[in-house]
Amino acid sequence: MAPVIGATFSPFTMKKTLIISALALVSVVIGCKKDETDKGPSYEFRKPENFPEPTYTFDNNPVTEAGFKLGKKLFFDPILSVDNTVSCNNCHNQSLAFADLPLHAFSKGVMERQGIRNAPQLVNLAFMKEFFWDGGVTHLDFVPLNAIEAEFEMDEEIENVIAKLNNHAEYPALFKAAFGTDEINTPLMLHALSQFTNLMVSNNSPYDKYLRGEVVLTAQELEGLRLFEQKCQSCHSGILFTDESYRNNGIDSVFTDIGRARITSFSGDIGKFRVPSLRNVGITRPYMHNAKFATLEAVLDHYSDGIIESPSLDPSLENGIPMTAEEKAAIITFLKTLTDKDFTQDERFFKG
Amino acid sequence: MKKFLFLTTLFFSIALLSACKKDEEKATFGTFYLQFDNIVGDQDLTIADAASSDFKYTNSLDQNFNVSLLGYYITNIKLEGPNGEVFVDPVTTGAAAADVKGIYQVLESSTTSQTIGLSNVPSGKYDKVTFTLGIPADIVQEGATGGVLDPAEGAWLWNWDAGYIGFAFEGRSPASPVAASQWNPENSVQIHIGGWKDITDNPMMVNNVKTFTLDFGTSVSVSDKLEPKAHIEMDLLEVIDGHHGSADFTSTNQVHTPAGGTEFAENLHSAFVVDHVHQ
Repeated sequence: MAPVIGATFSPFTMKKTLIISALALVSVVIGCKKDETDKGPSYEFRKPENFPEPTYTFDNNPVTEAGFKLGKKLFFDPILSVDNTVSCNNCHNQSLAFADLPLHAFSKGVMERQGIRNAPQLVNLAFMKEFFWDGGVTHLDFVPLNAIEAEFEMDEEIENVIAKLNNHAEYPALFKAAFGTDEINTPLMLHALSQFTNLMVSNNSPYDKYLRGEVVLTAQELEGLRLFEQKCQSCHSGILFTDESYRNNGIDSVFTDIGRARITSFSGDIGKFRVPSLRNVGITRPYMHNAKFATLEAVLDHYSDGIIESPSLDPSLENGIPMTAEEKAAIITFLKTLTDKDFTQDERFFKG
Repeated sequence: MKKFLFLTTLFFSIALLSACKKDEEKATFGTFYLQFDNIVGDQDLTIADAASSDFKYTNSLDQNFNVSLLGYYITNIKLEGPNGEVFVDPVTTGAAAADVKGIYQVLESSTTSQTIGLSNVPSGKYDKVTFTLGIPADIVQEGATGGVLDPAEGAWLWNWDAGYIGFAFEGRSPASPVAASQWNPENSVQIHIGGWKDITDNPMMVNNVKTFTLDFGTSVSVSDKLEPKAHIEMDLLEVIDGHHGSADFTSTNQVHTPAGGTEFAENLHSAFVVDHVHQ
């Protein structure tokens, strides 16, 4: 626009015009920049109003655009694995709320090795007190080390990962841009990954929009919500849809995987596993730590009629959870309102 | 935590500073050294090759063994004196090794790691030291940390039950029936004492981080001209063979859980003794 304005002035006022044009141009440029920033993605961590305070130590590791993008590159890069074949993304797909494909009940690691537990979705991690099905990790930074070093996942030693990154053509400059350091070390790599995963905040499902008064739910969805509150919410509580406790939900009586007891060494915890968040549960099948159920229908049938007795069975499940077929259908309809397409289609997480 | 410790140190420094000002016009500071010397009963502890069949040491069950790895983390060091002197070694964490202060990994394999120099200790008399053995909750919960807590630099981090091994002993004993594998040599003995959480409603004691105070038996003076040293002996036999429990290597040879390490953690206090202090 500026040159056009300038062209309408007479030659006598050319100098003035140039200044004005220049000013106009500058303001247009500034204006554009501002507009672009407003419309472009934000890499700031923002706690949704109705969420609890984050557990993550953002004071040590605030999210920045450079750090987030570095974390994303690492997340998609098989350099973390021993033979450079497996990346975090292999088992954590954004389109499935960062869970694994339904085909992979147990995820595939390097050399087609099979995992031992159902890979969970990665959602609202910044708010979680503990991680993994047994809660053995209490800080998000330490989570990736398990995938990197587990023999059946990436089977790589952290020393080698750091050496590979330091010798890489691109990473040193990216770490420098993100953290201002010349040397890549373990905490910086883990901080970058945490910056990427900390922004995986899912709070734009139809249910969230219903809470904010932006959409209405159908009668069946509302009936499902009412039933959910009665029958499921004592464990899948709060806005994160988990009370973060460890419970035996009656899916087995013999436990080849002892679950929480692996961490606590307490016999009473044998067979207990973390209560998972139900956000995006409609797209994260199969279900349970051992991927026992392929569908939500099978999960609800288990709770109504399939509870298996064992010493550590959760007392609230001793008689199952009575539900009619109609009630189950309504609950499932409600659960599907927790699928957050804004999250699964958020371009910030695209590989790029 | 970082700020708290810093402020505490600052507070005491200021307190001493003002006290000194009245008496001597100006405060001075010196360095205090803690030297750790590892022993096995009445023998010096020396590191054997991981495959060595030279078994120099014997436990109370007459089982021979050697030591291929030995070390521990020390943090939250505090010196105290008979006249109210207090020095708290500041603890800081961060991603860069230079940001990590006041946390020490003492390794039998590294002579330099066995001497901890505490600088900026206010002049005065000191007669006891307090420290934490292991990495406590507040440091673990800072998240990924560099320096001696960086697993790529030799930090002892448990991935699956994330936290640090506070005390590690590895070696071999003919009494141990362990077969050779990708993780262990034949007859392996590995005792890793870790675990830092207090878990509600769990009757198992899984917080093995210990803090204890050792008396010097006398007092030594720090000043800008005096750099005393406390010589601390750590007796491995007290840890694996102490009054809270003994390791029978035929059955107790692979300890890699908090609960498994509890009895040894209880032995730690009596394993550390100030043998003497140098003025």
